[in-house]
Amino acid sequence: MGIPEKPLYYLTIHEAQQLIRSRKLSPVELTSAVLDRIAAVDGKLHAFINLMAESAMQEARAAEAEIARGNWRGPMHGIPVAVKDQLDVEGAAARVRQFTQGVGDATAVRKLREAGAVLLGKLHMSSMPGPELPQPRNPWNTEHITGGSSTGSGASVAAGLCLGSLGEDTAGSIRNPSSFCGIAGLKATYGRVSRYGLAPLSWSLDHCGPMARVVEDLAHMLNAIAGHDPRDSTSGTAPVADYTGALREDIKGMTIGVPRDYIDECTQRTEPIVLKRVEQAIGELKSLGARVEEVEVPTLNLATIANAVIYYNEFWAAHKSAAAEVLKSGAAQRRARIYLGILTNSADYIQAQRVRSRVRAEFAEVFKKIDCLALPCQTGPAPLVKDVGPIDTLFKHVVPEYNGPFNLVGLPTLVIPCGFSENNLPIALQLAGKPFDEPTILRAGYTYQQHMKWYERRPAI
Amino acid sequence: MDKLIEQSLRALLAREGLQPKEGDLEQFSEIIELYMENLKQLHSVNLGAEELAPVFRPEWTAK
Repeated sequence: MGIPEKPLYYLTIHEAQQLIRSRKLSPVELTSAVLDRIAAVDGKLHAFINLMAESAMQEARAAEAEIARGNWRGPMHGIPVAVKDQLDVEGAAARVRQFTQGVGDATAVRKLREAGAVLLGKLHMSSMPGPELPQPRNPWNTEHITGGSSTGSGASVAAGLCLGSLGEDTAGSIRNPSSFCGIAGLKATYGRVSRYGLAPLSWSLDHCGPMARVVEDLAHMLNAIAGHDPRDSTSGTAPVADYTGALREDIKGMTIGVPRDYIDECTQRTEPIVLKRVEQAIGELKSLGARVEEVEVPTLNLATIANAVIYYNEFWAAHKSAAAEVLKSGAAQRRARIYLGILTNSADYIQAQRVRSRVRAEFAEVFKKIDCLALPCQTGPAPLVKDVGPIDTLFKHVVPEYNGPFNLVGLPTLVIPCGFSENNLPIALQLAGKPFDEPTILRAGYTYQQHMKWYERRPAI
Repeated sequence: MDKLIEQSLRALLAREGLQPKEGDLEQFSEIIELYMENLKQLHSVNLGAEELAPVFRPEWTAK
């Protein structure tokens, strides 16, 4: 494979790793190109809050030397990545922790380092504490938001400021910015990727996962970061699959469920262009050989509010000892979560957990008939910065929508671009799978991606 | 904001030795009221006596 005709910073991880392995591309050359790109455009995007350029170049040189000695560690070796602030990095604990100590490298960060990745730095996230930082902008149109809370991850991956990023998702925080910024994002099954070293928002809903430009890059990243971690008591012990090996351009015989009743329930709040693009994408999956079947998950309409109740209660519990400081100096979203958490009583929390059990059982029944679920990811394309208030996201978390239900039940969920709005803003398709069955949704997403090639469009920044 | 909700919130905060940041209750009244309203819906579903929340298991190997 020769170097594709595009800037190095827009190489996918999959392309770059082939070039690095065959020594047609040096990690130093690639990292330099990405750092130059950051210098050129991050003044407009505000994705990075802690650029670690010097250590990144050292890591790139070390990777180059190691590969030259014949010790290629695998596809992530020499690949420049960046992580959401919420993940601890040695010497750069999560700023969002505010009142608790970091742990050094979070497990997912450590695993990426062990795989040879080059760490470029830490990225902005919503509701950062302390002095107000500039809000990241959407590379497709800087008048629009990136979506959050993995704001910097969405902007940086879409604009070529890193080849991949680690994000975190409690109620859509990987999928929302991936959708708005036109990239691929994966909230793996709860327990698939360790939460150790992730500043907690809600222990039982927080998911760490990869964000990248194409599905195969998510698979490469997941291969590196998945697996049991004894330091995370919720970490799963299910065997780790070969996620890149699962990618085949074939979904013949796959059954895709569409929760039509639930989509209809959300229709009033969903822009028609989103429904149109998602329907087109489902039609394409059908044309590629999948069988499409409408399914019903009867209690799904309560899943978002159940997710919110658990989120705010666990947030309140996690921040109780520092609540006075959060209320004094924390961001508006964090203060609001404290108020909502404290207003909820034990019967509410237990009822939310009972609804969680019910919805999980309903999904288990539905998934006996289907391989994955297809639905929208967002109610609309990225809104204008000027139209979004500091706590607007919370309004989406308490009424039926497309993200929270999958945090509630921990199912793996992939988002991929499925087209654009009239004003050239990305729209995404969401695919959810059975617990620990990331291979199926990656395969479905990859097949669709290779057919439609939306990833070939890039923002004009 | 609904008076009862506001009084409850102030009392719950006071019990924890906390007070709301100035202006927050006005700023957040809409989301708080929407949340409390939707919370009622959460209890509208009949789950029966045997539908449990995730349960504690005593085995030492259990998480």
